[in-house]
Amino acid sequence: MNKVISYVLAIATFAAFAAFVVLRQQTPFRPELLDGYNALVLEGFFNTIIISIISLLGSVVLGFVFYLLSVSKVRFFEAFTDVFTEIIYGTPLLVMIVVMAFVIGPAFGSFNRSLMGTLGLIIYITPYMTNIYKSAFSSIGNDQYMAMDLFGFTPYQRYRYIIIPQVVRILMPPMMNNFSLIIKGSALLNVLSLTELYYAIRVVQSRTFAFVEGYLLMWGLYIIITIPLSQLTKYVERRWST
Amino acid sequence: MKLSIRGLTHTYDVDVINDLSLELSQYKSIALIGVSGSGKSTLLRIMSGLEQPTIGEVWIDDSPVSDPEYRKHVGFVFQHHNLFPHLTLKQNITLVLEKTRDMGKEEAEAMAVAQLTALRLEDQMDKLPKNVSGGQAQRASIARALSLDPNIIFLDEPTSSLDPILTYEVLTAVEELRDSGKQFIFVTHVMSFVRDFADYVIFMENGNIVEQGPVSIIETPTSQSLKEFMKKVR
Repeated sequence: MNKVISYVLAIATFAAFAAFVVLRQQTPFRPELLDGYNALVLEGFFNTIIISIISLLGSVVLGFVFYLLSVSKVRFFEAFTDVFTEIIYGTPLLVMIVVMAFVIGPAFGSFNRSLMGTLGLIIYITPYMTNIYKSAFSSIGNDQYMAMDLFGFTPYQRYRYIIIPQVVRILMPPMMNNFSLIIKGSALLNVLSLTELYYAIRVVQSRTFAFVEGYLLMWGLYIIITIPLSQLTKYVERRWST
Repeated sequence: MKLSIRGLTHTYDVDVINDLSLELSQYKSIALIGVSGSGKSTLLRIMSGLEQPTIGEVWIDDSPVSDPEYRKHVGFVFQHHNLFPHLTLKQNITLVLEKTRDMGKEEAEAMAVAQLTALRLEDQMDKLPKNVSGGQAQRASIARALSLDPNIIFLDEPTSSLDPILTYEVLTAVEELRDSGKQFIFVTHVMSFVRDFADYVIFMENGNIVEQGPVSIIETPTSQSLKEFMKKVR
């Protein structure tokens, strides 16, 4: 079967499933109930994007710092990042967020839950970023460093012309995958009453009682952000793999 | 070339090279042979200035190999081509010339094209290393070494990762350089190449020189270990 037709059919199958689910609801499907709440929904939508971008940038930076610590000659730093990674890997994101907002934040005098929640998201993604850096930088073998030595490249030239151009190609696709993880993870910030997409729609639902309509809209909006992103990731991967 | 090695010892965990001394002049193409782990590749890297010895010193043509100026006139061909994988064959040469030899863009480009053409890579030079054969990549790596106009070219088992046909291709390319006035020091397991190309042979075992002399020593070895080695590599 033609590839395009296959995909159209596959998407139609899922659309049919969605329609089936809507028709099977106990209450009539009334999307017009959501009218008048566009501003609130959009605020949540854009807040989700903004929080995700901030978390991405934060974890890209923090992940790099932790990468440098993990390859440091100081044993303590290496051990520190190892223990940190184990703790984070063992912690559910939801737990991380509430602990940051209600336990660690107040200990440092911060009751700003948006800030602490976002920071929790950043810290949660950091070890994943560190791992991405580790595998990317380890792809440059000793032989290449020997060649750089031989020709007498300066440290700046090494990074500018040889290391970074190779590493960026390897870093980009997994980093974009992590961005998708962050966007999805940010939904959990609703427990802090932070007006991101999930929370915004919950508010609309509580005012309109349009639960089914709200959840479907919520789902659709997340997918509107993440699917183009994953397509872009695939494109970048293909483009840069040669 | 004039080669002078004095009291050279190099240690990783064990002694790789053990108190080695050597004085040679007048030879232009020196082969280092021996079993794996005999210290020959380490000696080659030390002579090229790529590695610092634990103790001792090496002088080539009246210059200590630790001198950065000396290293600018060294060509080194690695076991595996060791081209930068994100750059085309041509860019592998132009980047080095432009950034480390202060050569202008056009001059570097012309040099790269000339060297790659001389090694019959004119159709391949805009390809990435992974898109050419191992033999072509290794020849590009030789072109890169030559583009720096080195006095001495070091070859570290340049064909060990190649099949016999590609080996032949690379070694023929090297032999064509014989009359270019360049000097060579190389490590190899290909004895036919030693016979054709070397004018002096050094046989190493356990980090020291067991036997050395003109190429004829591999036909009529005197030491027991070279006799056994020659039986195995034949």
